[in-house]
Amino acid sequence: MAKNFGKKIKNIGIFAGFGLPATIIWASVVLIPFIYGIWITFTDWNGLAIDINYVGVQNYLEVFTDSTFVTAFFKTVIYAFFTVIASNLVGFLLALAVTSGIKGQSFFRTGFFTPNIIGGIILGYIWNFIFSYALTTFGKSIGVEWMSTSWLTHPTRALIALIIVSSWQMSGYLMVIYIAGLTNVPKELLEAAYVDGASGFQVVRRVKLPLIKNSTAICIFLSISRTFMSFDMNLSLTAGGPYKSTELIAYKIYQTAFTSMEFGKGQAQAIVLFVIVAIISLLQVYFTRKGVDEQ
Amino acid sequence: MKKKLLSTILAVAMTMTALVGCGETKAPAASNDSAESTEASSEAAEVTETAEPVEDVEISFYTTETGKDQMFQDIIADFESKNPGIHVEYIAAGDDQLQQWMALYSSNEGPTVSLMDPINIWENQERMLEYTGMSFVDNIEPSALSTMTFDGKVYAVPQTAAGVGLLYNKAVCDAAVGGDFDPSSIKTRSDLEDLFKKIEATGVDATCFTGVNWSLGSHYLCQAYGAAIGTTEERVAYVNSIIAGETKEIDNDVFNGYMDTFDMMAKYNHNAADPLVGDVNIDAAALAAGECGTWFMGDWAWTFLGPIVTEGQEFGLLPIPHSDDANDPLNQSIATSFAKGYCVDKSQNTEAQQAAGLKFVEYITSDSYAEEQMAKVCGQALPYKNATVEIESPLGLSTANYIANGKTYDFYGTPNLCPSDIWYECGAYMCEYLAGQTDRAELAAKIDEYWSHQEAR
Repeated sequence: MAKNFGKKIKNIGIFAGFGLPATIIWASVVLIPFIYGIWITFTDWNGLAIDINYVGVQNYLEVFTDSTFVTAFFKTVIYAFFTVIASNLVGFLLALAVTSGIKGQSFFRTGFFTPNIIGGIILGYIWNFIFSYALTTFGKSIGVEWMSTSWLTHPTRALIALIIVSSWQMSGYLMVIYIAGLTNVPKELLEAAYVDGASGFQVVRRVKLPLIKNSTAICIFLSISRTFMSFDMNLSLTAGGPYKSTELIAYKIYQTAFTSMEFGKGQAQAIVLFVIVAIISLLQVYFTRKGVDEQ
Repeated sequence: MKKKLLSTILAVAMTMTALVGCGETKAPAASNDSAESTEASSEAAEVTETAEPVEDVEISFYTTETGKDQMFQDIIADFESKNPGIHVEYIAAGDDQLQQWMALYSSNEGPTVSLMDPINIWENQERMLEYTGMSFVDNIEPSALSTMTFDGKVYAVPQTAAGVGLLYNKAVCDAAVGGDFDPSSIKTRSDLEDLFKKIEATGVDATCFTGVNWSLGSHYLCQAYGAAIGTTEERVAYVNSIIAGETKEIDNDVFNGYMDTFDMMAKYNHNAADPLVGDVNIDAAALAAGECGTWFMGDWAWTFLGPIVTEGQEFGLLPIPHSDDANDPLNQSIATSFAKGYCVDKSQNTEAQQAAGLKFVEYITSDSYAEEQMAKVCGQALPYKNATVEIESPLGLSTANYIANGKTYDFYGTPNLCPSDIWYECGAYMCEYLAGQTDRAELAAKIDEYWSHQEAR
């Protein structure tokens, strides 16, 4: 009995030794702020006030009745839809290109991945200059009207600009995941397909794509969750403009909390975003596992 | 055994690191616990300017006046040399002036002295030390304290007097009128349009709007809630009537007057082809180069103009006329705004820090070196009685002349007339209007809708 108890204590000690530090850190930076954040949603705190009043579920009700939040949500859905398609398509095609054995493919892999490590804020400012001044100067010099004015001052074109730059940045990251999938496709299968007379397109369509289902699922869900949480590019490229037409959901939350100083409401909006992203992540896990089970 | 020992050491080290991370980092600051904060507040309330700071006290200075880092650092260095024992940590706000301020307070490191907009100080007055009765306040022009005074209590002192209006390039205007351009000849909207027509006739664009939300939303639109409405009480009553839904913007003559002038100016806009490409540097360069004759901005624009103008070039400020009444003194006066004020935190700073903070505020609003630097770099009039420094900026001088001639009016008159996010929310509607994507009725309805979500002032 005493031996069992001692063993139990020892096991707890070992677990605590390995698990406790990580648990404390995780709780400090994730769990406690998360619970604190949920608590704030039930208050009228402005982010600075000493006195805090409880307002019940008022902030959540306002989230769903606030037309600007609903607008920002649908804008985000449109942005996410096109960015996910474009970035995955480009990422996959780049992965195909740099795994085909072309000369200097390592260099190209590094090159295409680079935008992802520069950071959204800097990229946003660089592209802001390109869309506002470089392209317009070029457009004026060749006399093309649609290139003579900034893309960022027109609502539709500004959203397209946001999609282009986000896709450009994310495709390099997704390319790496697709590369991992493609390099795991057994060479024998590819050789067999070619021996059977399959064309390059048929090999991609009938052999490679089915065998990288896991990578595809990861890439699609990863890009969906990242686009829903997109903030830095939105801030530096368009700052929600022109006239709030490119205000995505994360940027809207930021404005509510820090510009309008409605921290409680902003936090409630953030919880709604969390639920959306959590559902997407759970779907990713489900479909990825399903893919593994089927193989 | 060795592995076990190593893993134990690593685990202990990690736990200690995590716990150290949770520990107190700033000894002098009060705890975030509400009970202790209240205690700190009540203790702090007893701090007076005469309290001597303890030796080697560290304070922080947070500024939302961006682009003037070197000036503030020079002033801080001079202050530290004159006040040994006080060390000032300089913190400049980023693009968003509130975010970092809120983050500092959330981490229990609220700045000792902050240079903030009056609305921000008003919204957080419970954290601020009251200046009422302190001797350094006597050095401030009384008219400059209205937006820093809440319920008769002074919570901040102003930095500079900012003149808002139409900047003009005198050479362009001289060429347009065929002689020496006299800014006082512009008494009505029609006078201004005549000038614009004459400028256009010389082949130069008459005026320029920088199509950004803060300029159009905060500076242009907010004129419609200012002196043209009436006294401070009348302005507050007007804003409250919009909030209550009793008044509609579209029915208000002052709003329509300013928007009529806006429409007229938009016709002659240098950026008309792409009105929302907002860049103050490019627009400043256009005014300096004589590509446009006037530019809606304020005298702070000297920060952008100063480095690019050539010697001998003359610039000045014109009022924005809101009507065609030549007898309306407002049409010949410029709006002056005491847009930023120095406040001292009492909620998260010790008595010694607050006392040191007061010394810093007193220094920056009365010391000759600080005033000299402020006048030279900001180029704006200083609302301090002992200020004898000469302003080099022609724009600042223009504001000072309007002040000397009694031709200015306080932009808001009260600290909380317009909400802190009006520049972002209504600025977007104004940008949409400037781009021709909405009409005035829709603009007015959107502004009404914005106000309907605000609390009564």
